[in-house]
Amino acid sequence: MKILLVEDHAELARSIASYLGQEHYICEVAGTFDEAREKLALFSYDVVLLDIMLPDGNGISLLKLLRKEGVESSVIIISAQNALDFKLTGLSEGADDYITKPFPLPELHARIKAIMRRRSAQKNNVLTFQDLTADLDSMECRVRGKLLNLTRKETNLLLYFINNKGRMLTRQAIAAHLWGDYTDNLDSVDFVYQHVKNLRKKITDAGGKDYISTVYGFGYKLSAPDQ
Amino acid sequence: MKLNYRYTLAYAVLTFFVLSLGFAIVYAALSRSVTQATIGKLVHVNEVVAAQLRRGAPYPSNSLPTTVRVRRLATPPAASRARTARIQDEWEPTLQARVAMVRVTTYPVVGGQVYEVVSRAAVVEPSDVYLTGLVLVFAWTFVFLLALVVILSELISWRILRPFTATLCGIQQFELGQPQPIAVQPSRTAEFNELNEFLIRMTARAQRDYQGLKEFSENASHELQTPIASIKAKIELLMDSALTEPQLLTLTTMHDELERLAKINQSLTLLAKLEHFEAGPAALTDLSQLVPATEAAFADLAEMKGLTTTQHIAPGVRVPLDAALAQLLLNNLFSNAIRHNRVGGELRVHLSATELRLENTGHAPTAPASELFGRFKKGNAALDSIGIGLAIVKRISELYGHRVSYAYADGWHQLRVTFASKGG
Repeated sequence: MKILLVEDHAELARSIASYLGQEHYICEVAGTFDEAREKLALFSYDVVLLDIMLPDGNGISLLKLLRKEGVESSVIIISAQNALDFKLTGLSEGADDYITKPFPLPELHARIKAIMRRRSAQKNNVLTFQDLTADLDSMECRVRGKLLNLTRKETNLLLYFINNKGRMLTRQAIAAHLWGDYTDNLDSVDFVYQHVKNLRKKITDAGGKDYISTVYGFGYKLSAPDQ
Repeated sequence: MKLNYRYTLAYAVLTFFVLSLGFAIVYAALSRSVTQATIGKLVHVNEVVAAQLRRGAPYPSNSLPTTVRVRRLATPPAASRARTARIQDEWEPTLQARVAMVRVTTYPVVGGQVYEVVSRAAVVEPSDVYLTGLVLVFAWTFVFLLALVVILSELISWRILRPFTATLCGIQQFELGQPQPIAVQPSRTAEFNELNEFLIRMTARAQRDYQGLKEFSENASHELQTPIASIKAKIELLMDSALTEPQLLTLTTMHDELERLAKINQSLTLLAKLEHFEAGPAALTDLSQLVPATEAAFADLAEMKGLTTTQHIAPGVRVPLDAALAQLLLNNLFSNAIRHNRVGGELRVHLSATELRLENTGHAPTAPASELFGRFKKGNAALDSIGIGLAIVKRISELYGHRVSYAYADGWHQLRVTFASKGG
């Protein structure tokens, strides 16, 4: 899968590209409006990650240009603008999603995955990890074929874990994913603990292994026990 | 006291003094001229008597007026006493009153013999008759003058001070954040024009400074987001590499601090944005739907804290508020009500056509209620919040003329948003 990252901050671009590389994406970086335009004209990308503030232009006009020229790529806007800017001014019009800086890298990954799934609607819509399966259409999660009785938040949490398997997920990243715009409470991270605890209990009660490990004071990680 | 009243008062006092002085002068002049006229007549009488004596009229004679007395003198008077005039109060039988009597004495010489001729006449002093009349004249003049001054000062000051009043009005309506300059009227009065020019210059500079500050704070917090995002990404990448536990702990602390910095920065940017947000013609937001929806979104947070939530939602409450801002407002209200609650507490939500009320149990606030809506003011310092939520709630409400108030009583925090009445 090919991704074009349009971001003028070189270090941030390098970090994102390196992260996405680890997730087996092919990620190219464009630092300016012109460079991005050139790349988009020459190659085709599945997803374009677009910063709004570029040294030689505005990401939004690039987005409009893309849509006018009928480029099929999905676009996720990455911006330092407030979430409210998008809602009040319709900044994200024409984009598939937006994410505001600073964001946890796993969150970006989850957004890309969600968009890719929407694009390839008919394909494999079941996520698996070891003996865990999650059907994205029916939102049913099973362990060894046995249905788990999960709340919506817990399902969401499990999907987030499977999408970012083997990675350390900070409590803040999980909170941001679960509650998104609803809360900017720093103490909502305490609630993450509760949700993770419930999820683990439900999985082990259903006879599954406890794949989620706690990194004390930091976050959680979904990994196979032998890793 | 209004400016023209002060003018009128000052003018009245001045007029009073000038008129009093005028009155005194008139009185003195009148009094003096009456006496002088009488003396003049008596001198004439004395000359007539002297002429009669020269013509050889018998002495003493019945032909003389009763008011004239003639006497032969043995020795002539000193040269300086050619004529004397004396005024004194005397009983006058013909008037049956004590009046000021003027006596004029002359010393004519007839055929070597010195005579003394004394004539007298009663003077009707102004103090007796004229005084009342004079006082009345001056009093009426004063009254008419004053009335005229009052009326004219109203009219003239209305005309002359009109640009000044307009300027005052312009100052009152001026807001630092408004895009247009202050509204003043040109005037024909030099001072007013000077004042207006000064005001325009000063407000323009203030507006420029304000604008600069606003842009600076917006850009600064905006520009900070990208470096923060970069550092955060680096830390996250680092965390996935092989690290020892102390290293991981240090990274965790860094990450948490960065998270906090990012949140503060985001909130400040948001607040700066709201501070300058122009509330357009307000779209109506259906709070009867939005409030329960928000409550549902927070339900799991409330549940984990063991809160009991009760809702009274009136149907069809539509309030002028932008939908996104309404959501932001409710998010802040609900997360506050949950955060500042005690475990196993209660949360009550009332929505009526006139107000939205959130009540929650909790410890008494440590800061005064009036300060809670300020930035970085926390009702409870122990909580790990950044203390900007209520400032945002207040700002959003103000944008649409709604009022927010807070009260604490008997273990209940109450936050009330009173909706702006539709008429005003």
